[in-house]
Amino acid sequence: MTIDIIAAAIRIATPLLFAALGGLLSERSGVFAVGLEGMMLAGAFAAIIGASATGSALGGIALAIVGGAIIATAVAVIAVRYRADNMVTGLAANILALGLTSYLLRVIAGGGAPASIHLDPLASWPIPYLSDIPTIGPLLFDQPPLTYLAVIGCVLMSLFLRRTQAGLTLTATGENPEAVFASGSSPMRVRMIAIITGGAIAGLGGAVLSLQQVGTFTDGMTGGRGYLALASLIVGRWTPWGAAIACLAFGAAEALELRMQTFGVPVSSYIVQMVPYLIALAVLAGIGRSSRMPASIGQPLPR
Amino acid sequence: MTEPTPSAPSTPVAKPRLPFGLEISGEGLALRILLAVLLSILCAAALIAAAGHDPISAFAALIAGAVGTPHQIGVGLNRTTPYLLAGAGVALCFRAGVINIGAEGQIAVGGIGGAAAALAWPAALSPLAIVAALVGGALAGALWSAIATAIYLGRHVHEVLVTLLLNFVALLLVQQVLAGPLGQTGAGFLQSPLLPRESWLPRIPGLDAHPGFIIAAVVAAALSLILWRTPFGFALRVAGSSRKAAAYAGFSLSGITWGVMLLAGALAGLAGAIEVMGVHHRLIEGFSLGFGFKAVTVALLGALEPLAVIPAALFVGLLEAGSLSMQRQIGVPSALVAVIEGLTMLFVLAATVRRT
Repeated sequence: MTIDIIAAAIRIATPLLFAALGGLLSERSGVFAVGLEGMMLAGAFAAIIGASATGSALGGIALAIVGGAIIATAVAVIAVRYRADNMVTGLAANILALGLTSYLLRVIAGGGAPASIHLDPLASWPIPYLSDIPTIGPLLFDQPPLTYLAVIGCVLMSLFLRRTQAGLTLTATGENPEAVFASGSSPMRVRMIAIITGGAIAGLGGAVLSLQQVGTFTDGMTGGRGYLALASLIVGRWTPWGAAIACLAFGAAEALELRMQTFGVPVSSYIVQMVPYLIALAVLAGIGRSSRMPASIGQPLPR
Repeated sequence: MTEPTPSAPSTPVAKPRLPFGLEISGEGLALRILLAVLLSILCAAALIAAAGHDPISAFAALIAGAVGTPHQIGVGLNRTTPYLLAGAGVALCFRAGVINIGAEGQIAVGGIGGAAAALAWPAALSPLAIVAALVGGALAGALWSAIATAIYLGRHVHEVLVTLLLNFVALLLVQQVLAGPLGQTGAGFLQSPLLPRESWLPRIPGLDAHPGFIIAAVVAAALSLILWRTPFGFALRVAGSSRKAAAYAGFSLSGITWGVMLLAGALAGLAGAIEVMGVHHRLIEGFSLGFGFKAVTVALLGALEPLAVIPAALFVGLLEAGSLSMQRQIGVPSALVAVIEGLTMLFVLAATVRRT
């Protein structure tokens, strides 16, 4: 039972973690990542198209990166270059992605009905030896490829932010863009690169959903997971590992609720689904505008 | 009125500006917005052509589907109503520098309030059932907005994050009340019982529309008057262009924020109640999905001027109403409308940014 819940939590957390990592780049550079939902959705769509067109999962993953980056480019240009409000731009990008994926899904089929593309979900890659460990082995070391990639991404993101010059410049841009400008870097460039790279990573989160877990694309299949990733980013206080723990906690809550229902425990799934958003609100209310939140977030760059 | 000299090297006080760069009285603002709309329509035409259809005949089918018959005009007006009501409120909030994107949740909760009031209203007082349900919706929306405002002002949490997160709680709340107290048992999906007939909005003869659009248009006109002709409107405009100036002039920033948020929440709630009472005649799961986000679209498209939100909301509402005909007759998927909405919003954001 516990094993089951942990396995389900990992499964639910994986797409969230990709999106949260992508959002982290954007928010650390000082731009709210409300567009994650649209970037994930574009990634999920592109993954299925790419995989079915090239006949290989790698093709799908590559196109998912492109799909997420395309939506992110729109956000980057409007929110950074044109200095529009971050969040409203993100919302617009989400509406655009929802419309565009639904439209293209039908155009591909040539008529009014959506194309139905069904692929086998990605198989798991058991890690030799490690996956033979009793209990822990099958639980942690017998996962599909993108799940490992999410963990690796978390490690790399953590190293990038703390140990590289570029990562420090990124964080500095989120805290004080004038200082970054004074030091000779372009805050605009930093923010645009951060958003677009973040979109590419969020696109991978979409690929996890469509390519790795379901094997098909349906309209709006991200179903608010991009916003949930945003919440986990807040709950994780803008750090990669914090976000990872938040994603796992949200996943565990959802998994636990499903199990409790099957055992007839009278718990409302809707109340349980509210919990992540309420925790995020509580965290925000608790910290207010604390030093954890990038200081210049949401503000357009000074001229 | 001059701002106290800011220490930061920001731009000097010139003409009133909105916090995220929308000009209030820029030259050629209307023209730039029209260009943005035109550009998104051109993009849509390219998408239609790429799919192997003729854009001209597709748009012709769309327009015929939107305004071809009185029935279709009625459908379009019904769709426009929630966008206009909520959008005019959002416009007022944005004017005051409060980026409220909580209309989505406020509409949903307004639906709960309207349905609950209609179901609970005693039959003996049935002539007042409509008023009771409308008030119930508005109160529920205002209450939801009040929660957001209290967290925003009390804990200094960014208002967009508060309103955004509460949207999802509100949508789940609709499902929760439908699974519980307001639900119809044995319906198979989440919906309330049919509301009593006395609480249904009447139909405008010959148009097949409920009178919600008229209410919404009157509300938009009233908001425009409030914005330009009252002390409160003046205060909120000052607060929107410079918080410092507003504080210097002795206006209460929290009072202004409470005012616009409660007003916008009540209007969004009213929109939810009207949708429930006029279109579905019951509360159903997902009845308001996306309405609040489109309210933001039309507020921007209307340049945050409540009167101009009327044509903006009509544009979006009629577009959606006509899109099904386009899909049926030409085979262009109606999802194209969401593409146009998203692109319009992005282009308008880019086109209305200050270029000083």
